[in-house]
Amino acid sequence: MRKSHHIWLPVLLVCVGTAIASAQSFKVQCPAKTSLHPSGTASASFAGPVQGTISIHPDFGSDFQLASNDNGGAVKCQEVSGGDGYATMADGTQTYLFGFGPLSGLGLIANGQPGTQLADDFNKPYTDGPNFFNGQPNPNYDPGAPNPNGAITDVAAIMHTGVMNANMPAPLIAIDEDDELFLTLTNVGMIMRPDLFEQHTIHFHGYPNASSFYDGVPDASVAINIGGSFTYYYLAPDAGTYFWHCHITPPEHLQMGMVGQIYVRPRQNRVPSGMSVYQALVNAQGDLRIASNCSKDILCSTPLPAMTTDNSPTGGYSNGTATKMYAYNDGDGSTRYDHEYPIQIHGFDPNFHFVGMTFNPEGFADMKDKYFLLNGRSYPDTVNFQGNWDTSYGTSATPALYTQVSDGTNHPSQPLPTLIQLKQGERALLRISDLDVTEFQTLASVGIPMQVIALNARLLRDEAGNNMYYNTNSITLGGGESLDVILDTCTARGPAPDYACTTKMPTGKYFLYTPQLDHLSNDAENFGGLMTEVVVN
Amino acid sequence: MSDFKMQIQTSASRLLPLLAVALISLLTATTWAAVPGITGQTFNLTAQQSYVTQPDGAAVYSWGYGCATGANVAAPSFLPFPGFCHPMQVPGPTLIVNEGDTVVVTLTNNLPAAAGNTSILFPGFQVSTTDPSNSAVQTGVQGLLTREAASGGGTVTYTFIANKPGTHSYYSGTQSDLQVEMGLYGAVVVLPKNVAGCSNSKGEYSLAVAAYDDLVGATSTVNPSCYDREYLFQFAEMDPRIHTQAEAIATCAAGPGVICPTTMQTVATEPYHPTYFLINGRSMPDDMDANYAPEYPAQPYNGNPHMHPGDLTLVRVIGTGRWQHPFHEHGNHVRVLARDGNLLLSASDSTKLAGPLLFTTTTTPGQALDGIFYWTGKGLNWDIYGHKPGDGSVCIPDANGYYTADSGALNYYEWCADHDKPLETHPYGSVGSGGPATLPDANILADGAWYGGSPYLGPDATANAVGTSPIPPAGTVVNSPTTEAGYAFMWHSHNEREITTNDIFPGGMLMMMLVDPPVFHINEAQ
Repeated sequence: MRKSHHIWLPVLLVCVGTAIASAQSFKVQCPAKTSLHPSGTASASFAGPVQGTISIHPDFGSDFQLASNDNGGAVKCQEVSGGDGYATMADGTQTYLFGFGPLSGLGLIANGQPGTQLADDFNKPYTDGPNFFNGQPNPNYDPGAPNPNGAITDVAAIMHTGVMNANMPAPLIAIDEDDELFLTLTNVGMIMRPDLFEQHTIHFHGYPNASSFYDGVPDASVAINIGGSFTYYYLAPDAGTYFWHCHITPPEHLQMGMVGQIYVRPRQNRVPSGMSVYQALVNAQGDLRIASNCSKDILCSTPLPAMTTDNSPTGGYSNGTATKMYAYNDGDGSTRYDHEYPIQIHGFDPNFHFVGMTFNPEGFADMKDKYFLLNGRSYPDTVNFQGNWDTSYGTSATPALYTQVSDGTNHPSQPLPTLIQLKQGERALLRISDLDVTEFQTLASVGIPMQVIALNARLLRDEAGNNMYYNTNSITLGGGESLDVILDTCTARGPAPDYACTTKMPTGKYFLYTPQLDHLSNDAENFGGLMTEVVVN
Repeated sequence: MSDFKMQIQTSASRLLPLLAVALISLLTATTWAAVPGITGQTFNLTAQQSYVTQPDGAAVYSWGYGCATGANVAAPSFLPFPGFCHPMQVPGPTLIVNEGDTVVVTLTNNLPAAAGNTSILFPGFQVSTTDPSNSAVQTGVQGLLTREAASGGGTVTYTFIANKPGTHSYYSGTQSDLQVEMGLYGAVVVLPKNVAGCSNSKGEYSLAVAAYDDLVGATSTVNPSCYDREYLFQFAEMDPRIHTQAEAIATCAAGPGVICPTTMQTVATEPYHPTYFLINGRSMPDDMDANYAPEYPAQPYNGNPHMHPGDLTLVRVIGTGRWQHPFHEHGNHVRVLARDGNLLLSASDSTKLAGPLLFTTTTTPGQALDGIFYWTGKGLNWDIYGHKPGDGSVCIPDANGYYTADSGALNYYEWCADHDKPLETHPYGSVGSGGPATLPDANILADGAWYGGSPYLGPDATANAVGTSPIPPAGTVVNSPTTEAGYAFMWHSHNEREITTNDIFPGGMLMMMLVDPPVFHINEAQ
């Protein structure tokens, strides 16, 4: 008895230890409340920072308060898988890829919308179904209470959904300034490459003053092994168009498709109607975290506009909805838009993708793009809403492009079209990023001038407050760059603050395309590539 | 020292992951950068052939500018610390001069005869090629873009007034598609003379206290280009097939049936297919070895930036070669000060900057860019030192919100609004608790070579966070949790193909930038 006790006690401890480890391996985090956002609900309006305190509840000792400004915001969450999958190129080729897939907000993603949700919505059960992608039944399936957007947290369900479900580009993320974002990455492994024990990470590209731990560079900190989850925690950075991607062996993982978009909406969207946006920006200078004092901070991100009298528009936040949308905290209304379109430029080398599937040595120096992608698709798929879609999956309307993967199931591999639809007189914000790994790409606009308002997620404004926007017919980006373009279908506008349209452009179909004419191809197919349409009604 | 190095290289060749090689080469010294070069008003340069080494073991035949030697040639003076200037180096020696100096550069052509003439262009300056002692006489021989040094030891003398502070490129103006590819490029750094607008003192190894002159306004004099430390990065690519062709012509031995070409005009520089991507003439991990490391006699300069939180870091970036490279700095944006030595200033207020904030400072061939970067951790919403009430730490915000009252504090330049804010809900160690995040089990993570050991900055905070348990799977040596525990960020070309060396990842245009805790002394000298 004594002897068995000596044997069994360490065995028991090892078992308990293992059980704890495996219980923590897949772990989705989305707290309903945090110290910064104790009410955990949708964001309040912003008229200026409200001085107050936050309460910290430590493990030992009593709660304590810290001074903190309340600027609104909420807890937002999103969950993604890291693995492999297939995508459809515009010449019909089914191409292998590595990628991130959605494990929350699946309905939103399949609808071409960002998958980020408030904590309360994220934490509701995922009731869509009746089956997961791989045919396994969803035990929470409830046609009476449909919720395709809840996070998938059950370990088996994560595998049923995440395996072979890589999306190109990766699930869209959108948050607001002053939000806290919990972004959980679960590494589900790469089924077609059982030889790879590849980790994955998420690098939030452009996040200023990032911590190494959450920056996603494996050499600089940590990476997540197969069968594990890692939750990245961010307080939203200053508003702008950023992007995200895996940072494991970047020449491989980025070429193979682990690229996505993230943007941050400005708190100017939350200014109430009784206040001008200029006044709100002036009030924001009272919080050092969000202020922009260029004489003290050389990296000041949004200085006050050079304005002698305040002729800025009033805020548009009403009943929790932003009725006026701005790209940045411009303080003068100059970055307003009616519809936004995230557009990610990328390129695939089909030879490399084939090699990536079949265990062969990879020639990085030889990489040559043959497919030129906007949001993972080439023309005409960029404007295509058709494709095989599996009605048994349950989502109703979808602009996603579906691809059959190697187990015969159809997955919404490419959920984002790039068709831009505007009414005459409207303005579109194009949030353009580029994650190509080999060459620079140019996107031109035929008929509608492009106004570049921001570069690398920062408003183009000098330190004296003068806007430095410029008009152009084309933009050129290399990998790791982003910029924001306004397409304005109005050729003459009235004065501030309304900027009413006095002369509208004609209706019709306009084009965005690349004047690098060899990129207007889908591999051997003569016409296609980096091109999409702007339809003005 | 050499026996020790050979032993390391032998064992390294047996280890499969190249990262292990990176670790081992970094074991020879902890190394940093600064902007090393030669100083003075008269420079005697030569153009010569030699070999540059790459981490895949290749020795690539190259040409480079270097310091001429000889009985009548004065030895070069070095800044900001001693080094060497061999007759051939890639990039060429960085010429550090003062604003207003009359700079006289004499170039001697010691390239192989078949290479023909060579020359130097100094874009941005008014260059005269007349004899400094007799303005009626032109030096050198006629060339297309400038006067040239004839082959076989010919010379030419370039004279210009260094009237523009900042970072400038120089490169060959003769058969540039070949000569620049072969390595004939370098930098000129002009130090400003009016810097009263800076309140910081000169960094320990900085060349100056600011990059540009004061800006004089109606009511005040300011200087937005003050900095605490600086780095120079020159980006280039190499297609070894071009170098091999040149080498064959240069080493050709005439004999029965062998006619050696007498010119390099037939070297094909298209189609262009580079497989090496260089920062300061080296690929990663070599770029993170020391400046003037003896194992790279032809590649003296490195790329290994370090800084403390709050340090204003001047980033001098030059594009050479023929491709653009989207140089991405992790960790923050860079405020672009100037392009080709021209400050970008507001049209309505010439004391205010107008350059953009970029997280990717794309290089362009022939173009130089100056920018300021800093890191402070502002806005993370958690305390990077893991502070909690009662641990004795203080954070008294200055006018900008940072703790600057005590320059010797462990948490100097801490963002005080986040002081005592915990990251972890239920931490393992004795750092602040009650925070928003739960860290994963350490066993499901793979640790990188530059992982400081915990999410926190500094050995003190790391020790608090991990307790007495060693960090699995093994302690790191390149960012030791017990002495440095800095935050590592990758600075690299975002054309990810270019962070490879001849198809090997990692390599190429890649550096790790370390934000070291204030307590850690950054020695730029070696």
